[in-house]
Amino acid sequence: MDDILKLDAETYKELMKRYMETRDEQSLYEVEQASKSFIQNNILPDEIVNMHIQALEELYPSLSEDIQYSMNFLLEAMIAYGIAHQEYQTLREKQSELKSEISVAASMQETLLGTTKPDIEGIDIGIISVPAHQMNGDYHHFIKGRDGSLGIAMADVIGKGIPAALCMSMIKYSMDSYPEDVMSPKAILNSLNRVVERNVDPSMFITMFYAQYLPSEHKLRYASAGHEPGYYYNAANDTFEEIETKGLVLGVTPDTAYPEYEMDINKDDMVIMLTDGVTECRDGDRFIESEEVLEVIRYYAHLPAQEMVNQVFKHFERLQEFELRDDFTLLIIRREV
Amino acid sequence: MKPQSCVNINKEWDIVGARQLGRDIAKKIGFGTVDQARIATAISELARNIYLYADHGQICFEIIDNMEHKGICMVAIDVGPGIEDIGQVMEDGYSTSGGLGAGLPGVKRLMDEFDLQSEVEKGTRVKAIKWVR
Amino acid sequence: MNLSVDVVEETNKSIVNLAGEIDAYTAPELKEALLPLTKQSGHLVEVDLEQVNYMDSTGLGIFISALKSTKENNSQMTLVNIQDRVLRLFKITGLDEIMDINSAIRGGSE
Repeated sequence: MDDILKLDAETYKELMKRYMETRDEQSLYEVEQASKSFIQNNILPDEIVNMHIQALEELYPSLSEDIQYSMNFLLEAMIAYGIAHQEYQTLREKQSELKSEISVAASMQETLLGTTKPDIEGIDIGIISVPAHQMNGDYHHFIKGRDGSLGIAMADVIGKGIPAALCMSMIKYSMDSYPEDVMSPKAILNSLNRVVERNVDPSMFITMFYAQYLPSEHKLRYASAGHEPGYYYNAANDTFEEIETKGLVLGVTPDTAYPEYEMDINKDDMVIMLTDGVTECRDGDRFIESEEVLEVIRYYAHLPAQEMVNQVFKHFERLQEFELRDDFTLLIIRREV
Repeated sequence: MKPQSCVNINKEWDIVGARQLGRDIAKKIGFGTVDQARIATAISELARNIYLYADHGQICFEIIDNMEHKGICMVAIDVGPGIEDIGQVMEDGYSTSGGLGAGLPGVKRLMDEFDLQSEVEKGTRVKAIKWVR
Repeated sequence: MNLSVDVVEETNKSIVNLAGEIDAYTAPELKEALLPLTKQSGHLVEVDLEQVNYMDSTGLGIFISALKSTKENNSQMTLVNIQDRVLRLFKITGLDEIMDINSAIRGGSE
């Protein structure tokens, strides 16, 4: 450290000497490079001022005392900057440590909450889920029943980041423990509601939309716990309808009952499930309207479902200048035959 | 032990006195300008802590001169409220008096050795040493 | 993004006037002002949301915990003058059915 300092002091003096003689731009460019190397080697501002003082003394031994004292004064003024800079460096290192720790947690979350999009004949499924920060507070899960039915859970925990992600693991494990014969949407929501009510902070809550698709009957059964409403695309009329449901968010009262609904799905019809990260996109200061989401979906509707959700995400990611404010999850199912 | 020189800290003006005494000692031992300035800044932080958080206290200086090296040792003692969570006080980015670089972590950075003892409602003792390079 | 919280005290009643946006950053401020008011038995807390143009789920969380607190402490909370965009959130989540919400004073928003 001391050696580097001595070397730098020598370089600095020589550069300064050359500059005083020639006033050339070259020296100024070189001192700019030197300045960058000072930063890399953690040389503090007060040490640089000191280099300058030493160079002055050596180059101009007869320099007036006033100037010398004024330089010492400058040196004192730089001390606090020096410590602040060191502290800032440490904080930066700590931040990157935290970041890598969180990314380990995030990949653990991915493994814990992982779900695979099932292949089911006759239906085309597209799903995309992108967290705003490293950890995702949105959750979706596919459950393939022995009767050939497909269960789809989509949930959103209040807030983002780590607390939300922790809460999601609880939901996932509760759902895993349910026997298959109670997998009706309303039964699942009733029971999850009790789990959440008992286990989370009063200001925490979770919304969930649970759907069960029965391919043999082409029916969709569903129930919602205060979740952002999804949409039904009626291919015959080429219209979108909001899927209306009633049901309180999970975790508010222990005895909430969730009504279950059923609808027929015809060929080429689509069911769209999403979280509020999709509908609450902001374009600058303006909130987008849900019609805009549907327009974008319609625009890409000719594509396979996975392509469709990817393109819709890209559209809104760009609209928000590539900075998501909230976790974004969009799922589309289309009946093909 | 070597003779000690102490400065009582009762009012803000005393901080300046402590700086002055510390700087004079540092100069005498042979510290360069940069280190003199750093030692003075460390004294300021310690004295300000006494002035801001304890009623009164003192800062004592001692010259260390042995076979291996020379240096200045300062000890700040107060009978103030003490520090409840030392870990937090020593944490970067935590400061009650504002801004990066302030407070005890700053003192630790400015000096070569640093030690802190504190007991709630009894007081705090900070010891810091800087060696002549 | 800012929220101003102004509390007017009347006999057995507090009126909380909110203005601005309720999100993850401003919600703690609301929580600090609102929760203590709901802890007084027999007290009525009226929250005026006329000047609130945005609220996210964190804000809803605060109202849910305030509601739970009114039940525990035998107090009452009523939300008045909610703008449509914010009201939609209470409707989607089903909270409009368990909270005392009065939005009739104001029809449109924006």
